[in-house]
Amino acid sequence: MENFRVLIVDDELDFLETILIRLQRRNVDAVGVSSGKMAIEMIEREHFDVAILDVRMPGIDGFETLREIKKRRPFMEVIMLTGHGSVESGIQGMQMGAFDYVLKPVKIDDLLDRVRKAFERKAIHEKKSGR
Amino acid sequence: MAENANKLTDRIHYILPYLPGVLTIVIALPVWFAAGPILGILAGVLGMGCTLTCHRILVRVREISDQKACLDAQLIQSQKLAAIGELSSGIAHEINNPLAIIGQEVQWIRHIVDKAAIGSEHHAELDESVTEIGKQVKRCAEITHKLLDFARKRDPLIQGCDVNRLIEDMVRLVERETAQKNIAIVRNYHEGLPELYTDHPLLRQVILNLLNNATYAIDKDGTITVKTLRKGQDALEILITDTGCGITSENIRKVFNPFFTTKPPGKGTGLGLSLCHSIIHKLGGDIRVESEPGKGATFIIRLPMNYAEGENLI
Ligand SMILES: Nc1ncnc2c1ncn2[C@@H]1O[C@H](COP(=O)(O)OP(=O)(O)OP(=O)(O)O)[C@@H](O)[C@H]1O
Ligand SMILES: [Mg+2]
Repeated sequence: MENFRVLIVDDELDFLETILIRLQRRNVDAVGVSSGKMAIEMIEREHFDVAILDVRMPGIDGFETLREIKKRRPFMEVIMLTGHGSVESGIQGMQMGAFDYVLKPVKIDDLLDRVRKAFERKAIHEKKSGR
Repeated sequence: MAENANKLTDRIHYILPYLPGVLTIVIALPVWFAAGPILGILAGVLGMGCTLTCHRILVRVREISDQKACLDAQLIQSQKLAAIGELSSGIAHEINNPLAIIGQEVQWIRHIVDKAAIGSEHHAELDESVTEIGKQVKRCAEITHKLLDFARKRDPLIQGCDVNRLIEDMVRLVERETAQKNIAIVRNYHEGLPELYTDHPLLRQVILNLLNNATYAIDKDGTITVKTLRKGQDALEILITDTGCGITSENIRKVFNPFFTTKPPGKGTGLGLSLCHSIIHKLGGDIRVESEPGKGATFIIRLPMNYAEGENLI
């Protein structure tokens, strides 16, 4: 088992399902939800290290979810995942504190690599803050 | 008058150190006649050695004072940027709350308008007007957020990074937009670079901003070249070159200043490059620009390669 927990947030259920199965097959402890609202509820209840957020979602979109996550869990790292990436939204994501901004489609091993880096950053951050 | 006097003392200062050497050479001739060739040659050689050494020392002194002037200028530039950053974030902070209240009131007005004025002849006009207020408030809020972000003390978190890959990710993102404008992107990555210890999201932000500026400067039909290279044992350079409009010699001093922009009003905040500047300095490096107006511009980032994981840069 990898030693981190991942939350995946995407309103496209097929995509969510596929990515969950692939991560779990690689021994990653991953949970999926299909909206920003559910994501926020989820992180209030359970512990996660890294979140993968779809940018475009109905209701609370990826950026708003990012903001809420950072407010509640400042050490959690967030990777933005999008099928409609633009430079403008990439800059916005980074400015709002995302760790990475990744274009769909993405190879699962590539994504996992990024999750590992994000988790490493979280660990460094916590160590630096004396936690 | 004073200037002339200054020039004169300058000249004297310049000549003075050479004097002993030159005198010794001049004296060498009489010595030759008086005390024979050996002592004469000795005096000549001594004089020349003395003059040469003096010259070398002088050159070195001048080099050092030039370097100092350059460092002073850089220091002033970062202090200036820091001061402006502090000031603007102070203002942004103060304006943020009233802005939020205006935003809420606008929503309330809209609610009332919809209820009370529906069907009345002024409804459409009122509606349009309220919408416009809402739009402008949103625009102001975007600016204040950018400003607050600019000044936020986000300490870098340092971890190992494959720079070429990080840059390539950002290039791919930009390529979606450049492809439609007939802008080619040329990659010139130095293969086999060692891992760079840096802050990933901060560096991403810088690269994206520079690529975005390059795209804007070209508008359409042109080339952006992205290059990485190693500078000696402990530094690395990232060069982003475009074939866009370039920067006039008058503007080139100002491009890193916050709020400096040549974009039409409402299009740019002029915070992109000042943000890049402050990030790169936080990462222990520096950023500069070279440009030939009308031909294009090159932004050059230099980053140190000798930091270790989790190390604090400041
Ligand atoms: N590659 C470039 N070629 C020519 N001029 C440039 C280039 N990059 C920046 N500049 C000049 O520097 C100015 C400041 O750039 P900066 O990124 O700080 O703000 P901006 O791009 O104008 O606005 P924003 O980044 O907020 O959209 C630009 O308006 C432009 O005049
Ligand atoms: Mg810009």
